[in-house]
Formats: sequence, C-alpha cells, structure tokens
Amino acid sequence: MAHSTRPMTDWRKAKLPVFAFLAPATIIYTVFMIYPLLDSIRLSFYTSVSGGDLTFVGLDNYRTILGDPGWSATFWNAFWNNMKFFAVHMLVQNPIGIALAAVLSLPQLKLRNTYRTLIFMPTMLSVVVVGFIWQLILSPVWGVGPEILDIFGLKSLFGPWLGKEGSALITLALISVWQWVGIPMMLIYAALLAIPEDLVDAAVVDGASHFEVFLHIKLPLVLPTIAMVSILTFVSNFNAFDLIYSVKGALAGPNFSTDIMGTLFYRTFFGYQLQLGSPTLGATVASLMFIIILVGVLFYLFVVQRRLSRYQL
Amino acid sequence: MYKNIRKDDASRAVIVHAVLLSYTLLALYPVFLIVINAFKTRKGIFSDPMGLPGPKTFSLEGFTKVLAKSDFEVYFFNSISVTVITIGIVLLLAAMAAWAISEYEFPGNTVLALYLAIGIMVPIRLGSVSILGLIVDLGLVNTLTALVLVYVAQGLPLAIFILTEFMHQIPKDLKEAARCDGVGEFTIFFAIILPLIRPAVATVAVFTMIPIWNDLWFPLILAPGDGKQTITLGVQQFIGQYVTDWNAVLASLTLAIIPILILYLIFSRQLIRGLTSGAVK
Amino acid sequence: MADLKLDQIRKSYGAVDVLHGVDLDVKDGEFVVFVGPSGCGKSTLLRIIAGLEDITGGDLMIDGDIVNTKSPRDRGIAMVFQSYALYPHMSVYKNMAFGLKLAKTNKAELDERVRNAAKILQLDALLDRRPAELSGGQRQRVAIGRAIVRQPKVFLFDEPLSNLDAALRVQTRIEIAKLHQKLKSTIIYVTHDQIEAMTLADKIVVLNAGNVEQVGSPMELYHHPKTRFVAGFIGSPAMNFTRVTITAVEPGRVTVQTPGGKSAVLPFEVTTDHIGTEVELGIRPEHMGLDRAGELGVDGEVEVVEKLGDSVYLYVRLANGDRVTLRAPGHCRIKIGEAVSARADAAAAHLFDRNGQAFAKLDCPEEYSAME
Repeated sequence: MAHSTRPMTDWRKAKLPVFAFLAPATIIYTVFMIYPLLDSIRLSFYTSVSGGDLTFVGLDNYRTILGDPGWSATFWNAFWNNMKFFAVHMLVQNPIGIALAAVLSLPQLKLRNTYRTLIFMPTMLSVVVVGFIWQLILSPVWGVGPEILDIFGLKSLFGPWLGKEGSALITLALISVWQWVGIPMMLIYAALLAIPEDLVDAAVVDGASHFEVFLHIKLPLVLPTIAMVSILTFVSNFNAFDLIYSVKGALAGPNFSTDIMGTLFYRTFFGYQLQLGSPTLGATVASLMFIIILVGVLFYLFVVQRRLSRYQL
Repeated sequence: MYKNIRKDDASRAVIVHAVLLSYTLLALYPVFLIVINAFKTRKGIFSDPMGLPGPKTFSLEGFTKVLAKSDFEVYFFNSISVTVITIGIVLLLAAMAAWAISEYEFPGNTVLALYLAIGIMVPIRLGSVSILGLIVDLGLVNTLTALVLVYVAQGLPLAIFILTEFMHQIPKDLKEAARCDGVGEFTIFFAIILPLIRPAVATVAVFTMIPIWNDLWFPLILAPGDGKQTITLGVQQFIGQYVTDWNAVLASLTLAIIPILILYLIFSRQLIRGLTSGAVK
Repeated sequence: MADLKLDQIRKSYGAVDVLHGVDLDVKDGEFVVFVGPSGCGKSTLLRIIAGLEDITGGDLMIDGDIVNTKSPRDRGIAMVFQSYALYPHMSVYKNMAFGLKLAKTNKAELDERVRNAAKILQLDALLDRRPAELSGGQRQRVAIGRAIVRQPKVFLFDEPLSNLDAALRVQTRIEIAKLHQKLKSTIIYVTHDQIEAMTLADKIVVLNAGNVEQVGSPMELYHHPKTRFVAGFIGSPAMNFTRVTITAVEPGRVTVQTPGGKSAVLPFEVTTDHIGTEVELGIRPEHMGLDRAGELGVDGEVEVVEKLGDSVYLYVRLANGDRVTLRAPGHCRIKIGEAVSARADAAAAHLFDRNGQAFAKLDCPEEYSAME
C-alpha cells in the first residue's frame, strides 16, 4: 500500500470537483457497506420483541450464543469446522498453487499460457455449479467416481465421502481447493515473474540447481505474496457459504458435520425447520464472524507483514 | 545441434509437462464429464458415463426439460444485467474517487483512502441483516436494483484501491500541461485520465465481475423471487427441485457452464493479464 | 586461472542469428574486453561463456575442456551483472557466501574466504547490511566480492559500471584494473563504452552485428583499425570520413582525389584494379590541426565550438557539405562562422575499400603507430 507519490494539487483550487468526484462512491459505500456493518453490530446488542420493536439487551445475545449449551455447541462446532476448512486450504490449496506457479514460471516452458488458462478455468465457474459437479461425480448412484478410481486401480477406496459425517467436510474443502487453486497460482506466478532474471542467473552462476534457486531465492522473495494469499484465503473461508449451502443445504449435514460460520449465520438469521429466524441473533453471529476475521487480519497486518519485508527487486 | 542440449534439460521438460498435463486434466475433466453427459439419454448417462455421446445415447431431453420447466433465459438476462450495470457503475465511481484521492491534497485524504480500503478485507456479507432491513425500507426487495446497489458497494473498495495505485503512475506533466492550457478539472478527468486508465480497467472489471456473477448469498436473501433470480440462484433452485432427474440436472449445469466457458476463453488473455499485472499486492 | 578458447561459436534464437561464428583465444591471466554497439551480441557471447545460454554451434573450451553442455557451476566461472543482481533478502555476507554454501564448503574456509574478499574490497564494515542499505558503489563492490570468493578460473563482467555515476565509474574502473593486477585472473569484460575498453583491456574484441570485427590491443585498434567500423567506433570524438577517388597507384603509394578536387599521395599498398573507384578516407580529429603542415587539407566554416579546457573541438562544415571534427589546442580563439583551413599528415590517414576493409599502410611514423 505504498503511496510513494503524494497527491499534488491543492484541493482549494478545485473544491467542487473534489467533492463531486468523491461523493458518489463514498455515499454508496457508506450506506450499503459501512452502515450495515456497524448497524449489524448495533443490532447484536438488541433483541426484537413481537411486533418488531427492539429492546436493548447488552451482551445477552453473545451470552446466548457462547453460553447456552445448545447454541454454544453449535457455534463451536461451526467454528472448528471452519478452522478445519481453512486448514485444508492452507495445507493443500496453497502448496499446490505455489508448486504450479513455480513450474509455470520455469524458463523456456512451452505452452505456458495454455496451461495457465486451462488450470485457472474452474475458478471462473460459480461455486454452486462446482458444488453440483462434484456432488454428481462423487455420487455412488452414478458411479463415475469408482470408475475413475478404477483407472488407477484404487476402486476399493471409493466411498460416499460427501455423505459420511467423518469425511464430508474434508471432501467439501477439497472441492473448494479444486476450484480456487487458480488464485494463489496466479498471484504467486505474478510475483515470481517480477523477480529479475539477473537474480536467477546470478544464483545459477553461483552454482544453484533449479530447485535450489527456487528454495533459496524465489521462495523467500515471494513470501509476502504467500502471506497475502493466506490472509485472503482466511477471510474468504470464514465468509464461505455458497458451496456448503448448495451441496448440503442450510442444515449442513450430515448432522451439522459440514456446518461453518456462513451456514450458521444463515440459519440463525432465517431460521430452519422449527427454529424461528432472528435478525438480532443473526447479527450477533455476523459480529462474531467479524471479530474472527478482524483478529486474522490484524494478526496479518501487525505480526506477519511486519516480519516479512517486501524487498525492492 | 542436439549435442549442445543438456540431457537433464530434456528429461526435465518431460517431467514438467507430465505434471502440468495431469493437473490440467484434473481441472478440466470433471467439467468435461458433466457437459458430455448432458447430451445423453438417461440410459446412456448411467451405462457409459465416461463415453462421448454416440448415436445410441445422444439426446437433448435434459435441455428440453430445463427450458420448459424453468426460465433460464430470464436468469441469464438477470445475471448479465446485474453484472454489466454493476461493473459500469463501479468503474466510473471508483475512477472518480481514485482520481480525487490520488490527485488532490485535501484534509483527511489519507484517512478517507483507508476508510475506503476497509471493504477490501471485511466481507460485506457480515452486514446482511441490516442490508436486508435497508432494502426492505427502500422497497427494493426482489429487485435487481437491490443487487446492483449492494454489489457496487462490494466492488468499490478494491476498484478504488487498484485505480488509485494506477493513477499515481500517470505522469504529472500530462495534467499540468492541460491545466496550463486552461482545461477544467472535469474535462481533464473525462478527456485525459479516463482514456489513460484503460489498461487497469480490465483488472478492475475482472475483480468486480467474478464474485458478482458467482454469488449465491445476496440473490438468495435479497431477490429470491420469481423472475428475479440470477443464473447461480436459478440453477441452485432448479437442481434442488429436480434433484433426481439426472438429465435435467446435467443440462442445467451445462447451460450454466457453457456461456462462462466461452466468455472465459475469449477474454482469458485480458483476465489473466489483469490477475498477473501485480495490481493487487 | 585458465585459458579460454572459442571455436566458431554460433547462436541463434529460432531463425534469428545473433552470433555468426566467433573465434577467440584468451590467454591465462588476460583482461579481455568485448566492446560494440548495443545488439552486437557481446552480452550474448558473455552469457554463452557463463553457461546461461545454450550454444547453437561451435565449441567453447575452458582450460582445454569442452564445456558446451556443462552447467555454469561446473565451468569455474563467476559473473558480475550489470544490475549487480544481489540477493535482496540476504546480508552482504550471505550474498558473498551463497555460492560457497551451495558447494558445501566447510564453514571455516567459507568464513575466511568471505572475510578476505571483504577486506580486499573494503566491505568489512558492511557485512551485516542488506543490499537495499548500500550505495550504488557499495553494491557494485559486493557484486565483485561475490565473484571473488568463488575463486573462479574466469571472471565475467557484464557492463558492471553502467549503473554508476560518472565520477564513481572512473574510480571503480581503476579499482577493477588494480584488482586484476592483484588477482592475476582471466577476466572477460563486456562494455559498450570504448573508453572503458581502452583503459582496462589487454585485448579488445570489437563486435558488430554478431561478427568479430577485430581483436587486438587497445593501441593496435586505435592505430591500425582493420575495418571502417572499428576505426569509427574506437576513438572519441569519432574519426572523420570522407569519400575520395583513387586516381593512380604505385607500389606503396596511392594518389587520391579529394572532394575539393585536390590530389594527395598517401602511403598505402593498393592494387591497380582499384583505380577509378571511390574509397573512404579517415582521419582522427586529434590528427588534424589548424597550424600543422601536412599533405592533406580541408577548408570550411566553423559551425560549433566545444571547449573542453585543454583542447577545443571544432565542428567544421566543408564546401561540399561534409562535416569534419578537429581538435585544436585549448587556447584557440576561433569563433563560430569563421573560415578555417585544417591540415593533416598523409601518414595519419586511414583508407578503407568499399566493403569497409582497411588498406595496408606503410612507412608509419611513430606518432601514428605507437604500440605497447
């Protein structure tokens, strides 16, 4: 975010234009983004009595969600599921993204752009479509899954992964990885391209093999990008909803084993089965999500980013 | 001249291509599988799922069903309108704001830039409860306008950030030459700056478009009603309803995939250039 | 330390040939400079020697071994890059130690070699700094230090001074010359700056469009350029050229007619079949003078005067429209617009045929042929 060059023209020379240029964006952004965020936090301190009137209840909603045995079990279940969901992304998506980026940035690679375009393709599809694609492929009814595994002689490993409590969440996370791996790949690839060729040549002359060049020169130089990709992953994972909802519905079955913060928020807000929806409790869940994301972002800004200096290349 | 090619280089190339090819296959095959099976009879889908549609198995019954039982063309129209209008508004408003922030020194300049950047990291979904309330109050429930307003707010922060960075690189001389010639501030913006930021526009358009086109959340809570569904929501509802009708499900997925695929192949160059331009650091 | 031999080295990128068969012998301990205009292939040639580019054809030998397909690390070379290419995330110490570390050199030896190099280059106090915290000149020294610690057989320098300001460039040039004397190593140095080439080299290789134009000592190139290209490239300001017609030929003497219509007899060995053809006559600005005697003369009007202190360059326009540069002593008071008449010795002339090849010059006085 280096604003190396400062603004140059004194605004007083052009008062009206400055205001006119800024106002539309600032107003829409404030009304439809900042105000709702703040208002949601405000709502989390209220409860709605019948008729829609709001009563201030302090931290009661938070006590309910974190303290009430039923609610707290649900909340922590969603939270830990979400952490697992994030962990799978960190452990699978980012390493694969880095590896693909490293391979794609090898010198003299033919068909580089073709590979890049094709591998990025799933990222363009809607999460809903991706969810259904894999639901069909993994469906024991259809039998494509076992048939593909059979090619590698692994047919016996096949199971109804999406349907089993133990494997549903991991499977969904892997589906998400399959879709989104293009993003870390692209961002890291771009960072790798920004490394001057001279630096790589110097390392080669110094006696480094391709792998050593990657390990000692390229990887340290793209660490800030990897950190940025990680925080983007964190935010989007704790904000995820579409995939679980389209494959598993709002109930995030089986037996809430795929419930994450996004689906919990939706159910709390709109209700499900016999449970009535509650905007104020929904706002409370949203505020808790906000806190989680904020902690992550602050950790990134003040701990990770400070330690990783971005080198002038 | 092959005596001068290092042996390990040749074998390395083989391994590299094997790796990339297998991953490409992993990325594309599932999509390919859905698309080919959409063109088969129900029997064909189950008896030979991995085969291409042949004379015996070819059938368009899935597509006929989808088109008869749902309004796919309406969903498409909705998605395209919402996306295109949003991108247009985001680009214009973000460019204006970015110009003001990067060009003029005014009290609170930095604070405003930071304020506008909050939305890059904080997901707008967290404000959904109040957004729904707001949309209800404005009488915009079940309208595409509601989606556009929310998506514009969602797209602005990153767009402003990217464009501000980009505008810092526009040479000062250009603007000063124009000012010396007595050109007004609005004219400078519309006649000189807007044409100059064209390269960044592709980047911004991509980052604005992908999350909007694929979004399920806001269509679900703001405009789930008849005739206002976007393609993502439409597919989700349709499949939810006809989940056991494999022909229809496969056909509806294919209908959602194909246009995006075509658009992607046409624009992939710009899109990837946008992603790799280093605008987002 | 090692000798180096290039045998018909060719390089092409697809259909584009950038080097058309380069032959060169570099002796152990020699300082060789590749010089030429940008795009002449000098950097490509250096990168081929380094092993960073594959060879399309021909053989490259270091110490008698063909190294065409050897990777850079097995060639015993070290390279200093134009951009310095210092690893931004490593300290000066680690930058210099990187190559040794990869080679699994034992710690004590590594430390000694790094500290030794640092001492030679006066980097002792900077070992813990990152490249970003160094000045341009310091970075340059680190880049050289990184090469020194590896104790290579051959040092390769790719335009190492082009990112320094003028004063630092002269200073570093002298440092490099001293370093060469101290290390007695084989050095190959690429530059587009002919002054760097003249001052540093034992042997200069002038490259043009992928061909070697001439190989020789600095004075050899200055006094006996084999081609018009070399004549024009070496020397500053550049040699003056004018077209003349050969009217008569005798053994060891040739009579030419200058554009002004005058005749002059020059000491060149020219075959009779050249009679009547146009050739190019070249004279260096410093060999022309206003108060000189000499067989060759031009008259014209001064267009521009450049005062350099110890001397003055006069840019003179001749009657036929040709322009000639000449050097006058610093006290010269000639003004723009004045008519001047300059003269030069016939022995100072260079004569090139239509293909730009020099005719052999005979009976050269010391002033025009001094060699080391």
